Amino acid sequence: MAVRAQFENSNEIGVFSKLTNSYSLVAIGGSENFYSVFESELGDVIPVIHTSIAGTRIIGRLTAGNRRGLLVPNSTTDQELQHIRNSLPDSVAIQRIEERLSALGNVIACNDYVALVHPDLDRETEEIIADVLGVEVFRQTIADNVLVGSYCAISNQGGLVHPRTSVQDQDELSSLLQIPLVAGTVNRGSDVIGAGIVVNDWSAFAGMDTTSTELSVVESIFKIQDAQPSAIVGDMRDSLIDNYS
Amino acid sequence: MASIYNFKKIAPVPDAGDFLDIVLSKTQRKTPTVIHPGYKITRIRQFYMRKVKFTQDTFDEKLRQILEEFPMLDNVHPFYADLMNVLYDKDHYKLALGQVNTARHLIDAVAKDYVRLLKFGDSLYRCKQLKRAALGRMATIMKRQKDSLSYLEQVRQHLARLPSIDPNTRTLIVCGFPNVGKSSFMNKVTRADVDVQPYAFTTKSLFVGHMDYKYLRWQVIDTPGILDHPLEERNTIEMQSITALAHLRAAVLFFADLSEQCGYSVREQMSLFESIRPLFANKPTMLVISKTDVCKLEDVGPEERQLVDAVVKDGVEISHMSTYMDTGVIETRNLACEKLLQQRVEMKLKGQQVISVLNKLNVAQPARRDTVDRPVHIPEAVVKRRKYDSQDPGRMVLERDLEADGGGAGVYNVDLKKQYMLASDEWRHDVIPEIMDGKNVADFIDADIEERLAELEREEEKLAAEGLYDSPEESEDEEDRRIRSLASRIRERKQIIAQESRINNIGRSTLTHQQKATAGISAPEDFADHLRQLGLDGDAAQATAERITRKRQRSESRNPAVVLAKRSASLAARAISVQRDRSTMGLRDAHQQAESERIKTRALRNMGSMGRAGEADRRIGTKMPKHLFSGKRGIGTNNRR
Repeated sequence: MAVRAQFENSNEIGVFSKLTNSYSLVAIGGSENFYSVFESELGDVIPVIHTSIAGTRIIGRLTAGNRRGLLVPNSTTDQELQHIRNSLPDSVAIQRIEERLSALGNVIACNDYVALVHPDLDRETEEIIADVLGVEVFRQTIADNVLVGSYCAISNQGGLVHPRTSVQDQDELSSLLQIPLVAGTVNRGSDVIGAGIVVNDWSAFAGMDTTSTELSVVESIFKIQDAQPSAIVGDMRDSLIDNYS
Repeated sequence: MASIYNFKKIAPVPDAGDFLDIVLSKTQRKTPTVIHPGYKITRIRQFYMRKVKFTQDTFDEKLRQILEEFPMLDNVHPFYADLMNVLYDKDHYKLALGQVNTARHLIDAVAKDYVRLLKFGDSLYRCKQLKRAALGRMATIMKRQKDSLSYLEQVRQHLARLPSIDPNTRTLIVCGFPNVGKSSFMNKVTRADVDVQPYAFTTKSLFVGHMDYKYLRWQVIDTPGILDHPLEERNTIEMQSITALAHLRAAVLFFADLSEQCGYSVREQMSLFESIRPLFANKPTMLVISKTDVCKLEDVGPEERQLVDAVVKDGVEISHMSTYMDTGVIETRNLACEKLLQQRVEMKLKGQQVISVLNKLNVAQPARRDTVDRPVHIPEAVVKRRKYDSQDPGRMVLERDLEADGGGAGVYNVDLKKQYMLASDEWRHDVIPEIMDGKNVADFIDADIEERLAELEREEEKLAAEGLYDSPEESEDEEDRRIRSLASRIRERKQIIAQESRINNIGRSTLTHQQKATAGISAPEDFADHLRQLGLDGDAAQATAERITRKRQRSESRNPAVVLAKRSASLAARAISVQRDRSTMGLRDAHQQAESERIKTRALRNMGSMGRAGEADRRIGTKMPKHLFSGKRGIGTNNRR
């Protein structure tokens, strides 16, 4: 079941949280409401960890990670690194990266097997990504946007990309990622997908503004609760046409 | 996108009296109030002109605001335009706004006239009277707008209470005779709470409710009942229903009560359907048989049955429901929604806009690029876990619950270390210093530091065993020995030079310029000696050095030609000091000089002949400055102070 959530009145929950198949990071906020949304859905399965990165709450945009590892920017403090290390299981590798493009969440989009990265990323960083996260790395853009992490959300099940991604681009990206893809919006028409939703293989969280149409697309493409991507071209087609145009 | 009409933001319209008070008190507050007959007449005129103009401006602004805020009937959606026509009478509405506009122009004209007259006001009194007259006339004009303003205020209050119907979105319209169960249906499918009573015309205006179907938001409009008579005879209440039916592109649910409990026969109801059928053109229409708990379609007589069957044609579908028994309500709704959605989609597919959304309807399926299997990773626990339910007493204790118990947000301090996965739980809350002995502890944290140390030590031992650190053997040959002895001699010599210079320098802390200049230079003989000591031929070198460094002796005379050549012309001129005539300086020639002289005498002629003081003369402005000569005198007179 995809869940709607809000971080201190902001619908951009992807900015304030990170979700993977083996752990979840949540920013430290004024109250525990946001944290508990994650906790109630994932609490007994994977660790849900409070953390800051470089003293900020925008942890979702600063970090990139999957089941095998977590990449944090150079600005992460030693204490934060220690805290995350202590909180994560040993199977998850943590690596602090020396990279000019320090908002790793914006420049890296990855699932457990493939990562799309910003075309200007360092060669060294690319190697680190491949080693730590155990993924194939491709330099790509999404709908002519270099910030691949901001404009898409992917899991091992499927992916949602920027609403202006052309059909050809979708096919190409889909073949690289080896998952079904669909273009869409979140948060009532927002195109920054990465900021609007966080997903893993069995759960999804979206901003509070997300409409039920958008949420049902999210559920279908990420196969949340046995929904299937084919529903988008089947059952939901009429609703989508009426809603979008 | 959705066009939302919001008439709730129109500012209240004051009545004529209040209007005057507002404007005049604003004039009083915002313009100067003090004027005296002694002021310059231009100032007095300007003072009153300002008052008149300011009042006119205020009137203008307020009236213009009214004109802008009230919707123009030509600019709003035809549904609203028609609805407003039905409710407020289009002519009356336009007239009222027109009169307000006229009043605005009249006030502008009055102000213009009186400002012009004020230019000729010759006293404070007259100016004041002109101002009074101007404001008085403006007030009279406004007072005449009493009726328009009060009408507009009523319209405003009513407009603000209209339901916000979006004319372009997915809509279901519920219509039919009074008392057939329209509002009951509305209450069933939406969260609207429409009044339901067992008498006709309970619903007297349009009501709107919202519901969700197929991930989309739908609006349901409940209309007042309509009777079967010609359009001209319809009253305002019925006309609202007709307006909605005529202008909204929606699915129409025509309710029919076959039990005739509503007080109208089946014949009347079916004849109404036929008479308003033109309004259903191009709209998905359904005949909804309500109150099936009382009377079903099968129960009616053959005559009525025939009437009903006559109506069900041209795409009109029939549906049965009972809000009392809760049967068929959702089916009816779904059928209507489905038909409307189908129609809307068909229409949109014909348009251009759909091209831009095609990529959102496309699910890109990956083409296999290798044989690697990429399975999803869903832990076992996910499948087994119970869904969190906030009502379940045995539910997981969340951080939110702890927060509520611990004093709420801002008071409760979350324990970040609670989930640490350490070898021993006792370590969880251990304090680790960040800085120790001036070093960042984190720089030295390494999980396998001991292992690495051991590795390094092993490597070191191995290298030592291989003899990497043994000193290399002595091996000096003839050449080395020669260089060594030469080097020692150079060092020795250097020391001697240093000592000599130290001895020579005693008592002389600073060098003269001469010494500085010659500090590094030794005599040619020294140079030659040095060479000889090194076993080289010094004579040639000495000869050369002497030739280069030789100084001219005092007795030797120089070549006069050379000396002469070195002397420059400028030197010759500068050699003699002559005081030059400044009066000729800056003048080209004698002619120019004479001319300047002529101009000068001419300029001075007048001055000289009148014996006037020139600027060069000494001038005493006041011969006897008062402050120097007044004051207490010795004899006691003249004590000004």
